[in-house]
Amino acid sequence: MDHTLKAVDNDLAALTYEVAAMGDLAVAQIRAAVDVFVRHDLPAAEKVVLADNAVDLQDAEIEKNAVRFIALRQPMADDLRRPIAAMKIAMQLERCGDLAKNIAKRVPRLASPPSEGQSASIAALGHMASERLAAVINAYRIDDAQGAYDVWLKDTDIDERHDAIVREIVAGMVGDTDVMADAIHLLFIAKNLERIGDHATNVAELVHYQITGTDLSNRPKL
Amino acid sequence: MNAQLENPPETAVLELPPEVVKLAIKDLSFFYGQKQALFDVSVSFAADAVTALIGPSGCGKSTLLRVLNRMYSLYPGQRAQGQVMLDGEDMLSPRVDVATLRARVGMVFQKPTPFPMSIYDNVAYGVKLYEKLSKADMAIRVEDSLRRAALWDEVKDKLKESGLSLSGGQQQRLCVARGIAVKPEVLLLDEPASALDPISTARLEETIAELKRDYTIVIVTHNMGQAARLSDHTGFMYLGKLIEFGETEQLFTNPVTTRARDYITGRFG
Repeated sequence: MDHTLKAVDNDLAALTYEVAAMGDLAVAQIRAAVDVFVRHDLPAAEKVVLADNAVDLQDAEIEKNAVRFIALRQPMADDLRRPIAAMKIAMQLERCGDLAKNIAKRVPRLASPPSEGQSASIAALGHMASERLAAVINAYRIDDAQGAYDVWLKDTDIDERHDAIVREIVAGMVGDTDVMADAIHLLFIAKNLERIGDHATNVAELVHYQITGTDLSNRPKL
Repeated sequence: MNAQLENPPETAVLELPPEVVKLAIKDLSFFYGQKQALFDVSVSFAADAVTALIGPSGCGKSTLLRVLNRMYSLYPGQRAQGQVMLDGEDMLSPRVDVATLRARVGMVFQKPTPFPMSIYDNVAYGVKLYEKLSKADMAIRVEDSLRRAALWDEVKDKLKESGLSLSGGQQQRLCVARGIAVKPEVLLLDEPASALDPISTARLEETIAELKRDYTIVIVTHNMGQAARLSDHTGFMYLGKLIEFGETEQLFTNPVTTRARDYITGRFG
């Protein structure tokens, strides 16, 4: 049922739209960061780094609008959970943006382009992380608690893939000190993508909380 | 839709543990002549706590309050059926004297209703009906009541002035002082702050928060924020029925029934 005061519905719809748009931007940043890494495209990497500013601005805007909504509309129950969840989700997305930026920043520091195997591994992990975040943003957009729950349950596959990549990289480091520096960058890139998976899980918890008012707990961990 | 539960219940009434219950309403129905205004309401109010009753106009919350001290008995054709157990004794029983009941269950109304007499006498008047106190003891009772109602500091130098000379907020706190002067066990407040400005409202709310240490308080309010701020338990009523009753925190953060949720979030059609 709609609110008797139409402005409340308008404010909530605007807030949801802003958070979902920020989510889309964060997903695009992750995809772009992985892409510039795979292609070792230095000018494009610089653009990804600069574009993170837009994600930060959206975070600030969402916080401002959520605080304004709470102050002016004095919401209760699920109406109150929405601005709270919006602020907390925006914070998670802002961190995802930072991690994407960090990946792009490492691209010019690599002494040589990644090998085919490394590219494929990171691309696969990046795909999993960005799709996971995209899925939870979609669940947020359509108020789908089950969709959020499904994302929340899944994080272990990203962790497994990350651990496998770390093992590969560490194995490659043995006996070859020249590749050591690049390998460390690769480890961080993989770790950043794994962290994005964690943030997607956190967003899933927030989406579930917003819709149901209850916390998810006891997720299976690797 | 209620998102937490696929099929939210029509009603959800929390049962309080018997040891905390001061006032227990059982299967209460009420009639204004032929018109039924309450339908089988069963709910308990805890001792030393504030219970808020909320709901749209005409939902029966003020009617429920009026039944609790048999205010309706002043009007022919109005009748209640069911039980209102105060410490295990049915207050609706004809054996219970109405005057005694009202000394045990005090009431403050929506509009301040000071008597046209001095501030002092406004408070002392009710006491004189029930108790024979010495002048000194009465002075102590009046001061204590005015202090508890958070009005003493504002009126201590003008106790002989008319109660009508006070501001609206002060008059309402005077009515609270008058209500508690007879040392009731239960205090009923029917929209006590609806005619008050924000400062007076805040003072009255602080008074109620202080009073709940010693009284069972039931407050009817249209102000959702006030119910949330003040009460330990909240009951939501609709069309003469109790739809949801529970911990205030639960009801305002995650109500169980769709009707309560729609009402507190302003979606009521």
